[in-house]
Amino acid sequence: MKKYVLKRVLMSVVTLMVIVLVLFTLMQLLPGSPFNDERLSIEQQQVLMTKYGLNDPIPVQFFRYVKNMLTGDFGKSYTISKDTDVSLLLQNRLPISLLLGGISIALGSVVGLFLGIAAALKHNSLLDSAATFLSVVGVSIPSYVFALGLSYYFGFQLGWFPMLYSVSDGLLAFALPAVALSMTVMATVARFTRTEMIEVLSSDYIQLVESKGVSGGHLIFKHALRNASISIITILGPLVVSLMTGSLVVEKIFSIPGIGQLMVQAIQSNDYNVILALAFVYSALYIFVMLGVDIMYGVLDPRIRLAKEDSNG
Amino acid sequence: MTKLNKKHLLVSGLASLLVLSACGGETNEEVDSSAEADTSSDSQVLNVQVDVEVASMDPQIATDGTSFEVIANTIDGLYQVDADGNPIPALAETTDKSEDGLTYTFKIREDAEWTNGEPVTAQDFVYSWRRLANPETGSEYGYIMGIAGLENANEVLAGEKAPEELGVTALDEKTLEVKLANPVPYFESLMSFISFYPLNEEFMNEVGDQYGTSPDTLLANGAFEITSYEPAATTIQLEKNESYYDAESIELEGMKYQVIKDSQQAMLSYQNGDLDLVTLAGEQVDLFKDDPEFVNTQAGYLWYISPNTLVEGLENENLRKALAMSFDKEQIAETVLKDGSSAADYVIPEGLATGPDGKDFRETADTYLAYDPEAATEAFEVAKEETGQDTFTFGLLVEDTESAINVSQVLKSQIEDTLDGVTIEIEQMPKKTRLDRMKQGDYDLGLTRWGPDYADPMTYLDLWVTDGSNNDGSWSNEEYDEIVFSAIDGDLSLDTEARWEALKEAEAIIMDEAGVLPVYQKGNAVMMQDNVSGVDFHAVGLSRVYKNVVKE
Repeated sequence: MKKYVLKRVLMSVVTLMVIVLVLFTLMQLLPGSPFNDERLSIEQQQVLMTKYGLNDPIPVQFFRYVKNMLTGDFGKSYTISKDTDVSLLLQNRLPISLLLGGISIALGSVVGLFLGIAAALKHNSLLDSAATFLSVVGVSIPSYVFALGLSYYFGFQLGWFPMLYSVSDGLLAFALPAVALSMTVMATVARFTRTEMIEVLSSDYIQLVESKGVSGGHLIFKHALRNASISIITILGPLVVSLMTGSLVVEKIFSIPGIGQLMVQAIQSNDYNVILALAFVYSALYIFVMLGVDIMYGVLDPRIRLAKEDSNG
Repeated sequence: MTKLNKKHLLVSGLASLLVLSACGGETNEEVDSSAEADTSSDSQVLNVQVDVEVASMDPQIATDGTSFEVIANTIDGLYQVDADGNPIPALAETTDKSEDGLTYTFKIREDAEWTNGEPVTAQDFVYSWRRLANPETGSEYGYIMGIAGLENANEVLAGEKAPEELGVTALDEKTLEVKLANPVPYFESLMSFISFYPLNEEFMNEVGDQYGTSPDTLLANGAFEITSYEPAATTIQLEKNESYYDAESIELEGMKYQVIKDSQQAMLSYQNGDLDLVTLAGEQVDLFKDDPEFVNTQAGYLWYISPNTLVEGLENENLRKALAMSFDKEQIAETVLKDGSSAADYVIPEGLATGPDGKDFRETADTYLAYDPEAATEAFEVAKEETGQDTFTFGLLVEDTESAINVSQVLKSQIEDTLDGVTIEIEQMPKKTRLDRMKQGDYDLGLTRWGPDYADPMTYLDLWVTDGSNNDGSWSNEEYDEIVFSAIDGDLSLDTEARWEALKEAEAIIMDEAGVLPVYQKGNAVMMQDNVSGVDFHAVGLSRVYKNVVKE
């Protein structure tokens, strides 16, 4: 197991480096430069290009970038927040996106789990139909529609929650955006939980456990849910990443200073260092979560772990 | 068995973590809701919406309107502009101008100080001006030092002379002497421009490249000081600066900026009462234009089509004229844009500059190239004969913003309707790419814009001199060049009235040859709560000034 994890971690680091290289190459293909502004003469643009080392050969730029990156220096922003360290921008914005994503995931998966279990237990009942309906709505309606609706009714008309993000509102500021973002998670988790639970509940081993006299919460959580959780975790992985890394539109609607908005702005203004740093963060998070999911499989299901231990010696 | 228990623990641990974190979120929310009441708008705090983040709090680096606005709230320069746009002294207590107009001596107010208790000195200006002109700073507005006419400015900018040779010296702690290479009629007006605002050298050395990254790394000498800020922040809070020399006349206790990019959300917040001032976008203007809280402010931005005169066909003056008169500018402004913009039959925008006669430039200047399909067709016939060509196809570069795309589609259909034989192919691209291609001369027609930097027609006219760095279309006229250069540092610069007349002539020359094809002058529309008054709106430089704001 240890060896397996170590190998996976190393693979992840190599993958990340390759990603940075690919991104760096792609960036050279972006049209224009960060400095082609009306008011900058060609001579001045050259001065700026030299100042930031953008005239050096690309391999030189790449290795310098990687070297700096390893020390936590992601370079400076050229346009969005001029001459500010990109790491400072990330430091301010990443926690906000992570927190919002975290709350949405937690909220969505807990509600979704209970909805799914309830629907599976009361299979083909009114509750089941209601849960199914909710999850269809949640999956098919994009989160920004929920965001606009929530912000209009609960923010504007009723005034219960702040419509716009403000530090002074604390966690309350996350209420509406988190609910809006959690809808997809809730719906997806509920759907998968229901399907898996129905299957597991009708399986032989659950019948056996039941016949031994185990029932109620113990049966559901210890025996049934655990077996159903493999597929739920599989779909939760990518969802976690996409939510943690911020949702552009929801961030825009609620004026949340997260990294989703930053990314779009960076691309529009050719702010190379910001694009690179964000893409790196996205990739790192994705790889990290996937690694986590893989390890969780092993923990949850001895069969997977044993199979891997065999193949990895 | 032990193995199983371990796994068991892990699973239940994970599950409870999920549950706990969810609960944690909720309970905290409840606790915080009690605090919510306090954050609702204070009576004397002005809440302003902007649609883009502050790009820099550094006066010598900043270039955009939002950054300018926030900097000007916290830092005063030598001059400021009054409600009518005329320059009035700010930090300059007295100004002595030598008879030849080449030397200015400013006495800086004794009571002017930075928020760290240090006095604002002449050295602060020397430091920041050298910094602006130093090519290593990489200031986009560096060239404005040359516009202001400072001795050696252009040489310093080009890296040929050291920044220390710039024509600015501190005679003593509070006396600043500025030497110009040539008289500049709008010098005092330029002194209200943000790039000329001072910074404290000692403080700058202390904070280094961390300047402007938090309230602690910012220093104010102006009406407000920043209490909450981070790079690219979505909320910025300012408090009245009690040590400001004119603190008595500042009624506001503070200001709060909120970056809201979604114009609909911004409007809802305004209607909610959370915002006092909000910028309207596109169709909202039409929706709210009859509201008593609606304020239309003319912006100095001119949108025009730049014809690349090196492209076959476009070197022909009659063809350019035909194009210029073939589209209905009023229709574009009033039915397509609907944002308070107006048709431009000129290149010097309205409300930009006041002449020696005290009148706006446009009041006494002519208009040119108005929409006239008949004249356009006539000119087109001549052009066809002169070029020996019957059909023309031109690409039109536009940036991928909604308004630019809409305008370009109308331009295409109207030009093609009026001029039988002309085909326009629209090419959409990001603004940075458009600028790049236009600068390289890789285009036929380009829909572009220019915002004024200072309140004088020269902010536009010097764009189109032969080989000018912003003369993308390479239009060239000797007589025009002569007037512009003479107005900068020749005979005309010495005679303000003759200069003014000559500038009108210069505009007439470029318009007669259709060197550029003006389309419209941008309008800005805002909604302002009716209990707020005293916001000064300007078409040039600093677009909004809040020093006189009263909130009842």
